[in-house]
Amino acid sequence: MTLKYENVSFTYPGATTGIFDISLEIGKGELLAIIGASGSGKSTILKLLAGFVSPDRGRIVIDDKDVSALSPEARRLGVVFQNYALFPHMRLWENVAYPLKVRGVAKGERQSRALDMLGRVGMRNRADDLPAALSGGQQQRVALARALVFDPQGLLLDEPLSALDASLRVEMRDEILRVQRASGIATLLVTHDQEEALSIADKVAVMRDGRLVQIGTPRELYETPANAYVAGFVGQSNLWQGKVRSHGVVESEIGSFACDTQGRSPGDAVTVFVRPERVLPVADSEPKSAGGELPASHFSGVVDADRYLGPIRRIDLKVSGGLIRLETHLRDAVTSVRIPADAIRLLPAN
Amino acid sequence: MPIVAIAYFLFLFAPVLLLALGSFGESWSNTLLPTGFTWRWYEEVAADPSFRRAFVTSLQIVGITCVLNVLVGLPLAYAIQVGAKGGVRLAARLVTLLPVAVPDLVLAFGFILVFSSDQLPWLGSFWLLAAGHLVLTLPYTVTALVADMEQLRLDEYEHAAATLGASFFARIRDIVFPLLGPSLVSSMLTVAALSIGEFQLSNLIAGFLSRPYPVVLLQAFYGATGFACAATIVLLLLAAIASLASSLTSRLSNNKKAAAA
Repeated sequence: MTLKYENVSFTYPGATTGIFDISLEIGKGELLAIIGASGSGKSTILKLLAGFVSPDRGRIVIDDKDVSALSPEARRLGVVFQNYALFPHMRLWENVAYPLKVRGVAKGERQSRALDMLGRVGMRNRADDLPAALSGGQQQRVALARALVFDPQGLLLDEPLSALDASLRVEMRDEILRVQRASGIATLLVTHDQEEALSIADKVAVMRDGRLVQIGTPRELYETPANAYVAGFVGQSNLWQGKVRSHGVVESEIGSFACDTQGRSPGDAVTVFVRPERVLPVADSEPKSAGGELPASHFSGVVDADRYLGPIRRIDLKVSGGLIRLETHLRDAVTSVRIPADAIRLLPAN
Repeated sequence: MPIVAIAYFLFLFAPVLLLALGSFGESWSNTLLPTGFTWRWYEEVAADPSFRRAFVTSLQIVGITCVLNVLVGLPLAYAIQVGAKGGVRLAARLVTLLPVAVPDLVLAFGFILVFSSDQLPWLGSFWLLAAGHLVLTLPYTVTALVADMEQLRLDEYEHAAATLGASFFARIRDIVFPLLGPSLVSSMLTVAALSIGEFQLSNLIAGFLSRPYPVVLLQAFYGATGFACAATIVLLLLAAIASLASSLTSRLSNNKKAAAA
């Protein structure tokens, strides 16, 4: 089963917000995460697929069938809501059996299938409890079981972890991935938590102002962001405005960088992008030529902020003209850094 | 503060207490309290054909008002909650609340003007009285139900049920009614309490044969004091039962809302 958006546009009545010309495809067994700031349109993407709203233009296609005009109940998609939305008056097994009940499955069979599904998310021993007796994480498991019990054509997860404690979030993330992999179902995950998206998604789509900015594997997004927005939104980053001075040299607000300038001509405006973990502290005794065959850009400054995060420190180094963010596991004082040429990417200027 | 509370309590309950005493007193004239003890007044009220008729009429009106409130109020509240947004929602709320703001008298005069015409000659009929009670009580039902639907997060549950394959009717049957049940019962009991005691509108639009209990009760005060007291106590008892049941069920529905939140 594949889930597809074909040139889909939608604006809310009386508003200018919405989504514009979105095309996406989620293959069988694939997990696509949509991330973006609030108001970027990521929830609208989910609502369109679930059938809560209909596209103004374009088509929503499930398994080669246009479902744009179908109601949510006719689409056969499992949805896990942010607040889980377990029916408070039904026992857990009744909640999980509900999609089977409305499909006319006999009571005995739907009970055994519900219990089986509850077993798959480790909640079988609580089958007779009411949802109010459960913690957030447990409700999440039951909601997942309920969304999958009727063999839906796709699974939609709407900020599924945002209501959980940070410690539980990682555990549930793995749990969702395990269940999703086991059922081999096309899955759409909407989240504002980029770490969540990067860690479990096969592909991640970044939304901004109702438009798709970039879609790619987590690695592509992190290492080769399409522009400064994606670079800044996904992970920590250093972004400096600059200009190509000559072949292999970029002049920026904090100094010059030695890097690959292929495809650009002298005078071109660029944004210089470097991940903080690629900025390397330099010991005072280290010769400036260190860095192997590629030339490295060197900077010196004073520490503006030094945050201890356990395994690493996140340091802001104040240099002339700006700030360099770096992450290091070293415990020594930092006054100079070097940035290898292969750590530097040039993005379109803002 | 306790003094104020006690004074208020006395002010509220002294008349009720005196009515209760008077309904069992053999005679009550020119004394502070009645003298003697008798069941006679209750027997007389029970035997009086116009009171018996009015009692039955009142129960019928209450029953029909409650049924109409469910039939009209529930879909209306549902439509406001699910469909109406922004200005439409505000307008819908205002219109439903209007009968509370407008004095009963004004409403009654309106009824008299409209329904005494040749085209709509229904003034004095039983069904017009029921319609009048519906207009007066509907705002309470709609307001309570809309508030409860919001608090219960009914739309979320409905969305969830829809994605699980439940049709509109299945959602109403499996989600809306069970979740909203206690609120609905509590609203109906409030409606019953309001309808039982309604006098102003009923007095002006009820026909002679469809007079509800409070309207007939007024006549009682032209006769023996004991009789009037006994007749009033009957009404008070009915209203008190409805109010008590209403507050008990609303506690039940609050528990449900707490579970949903």
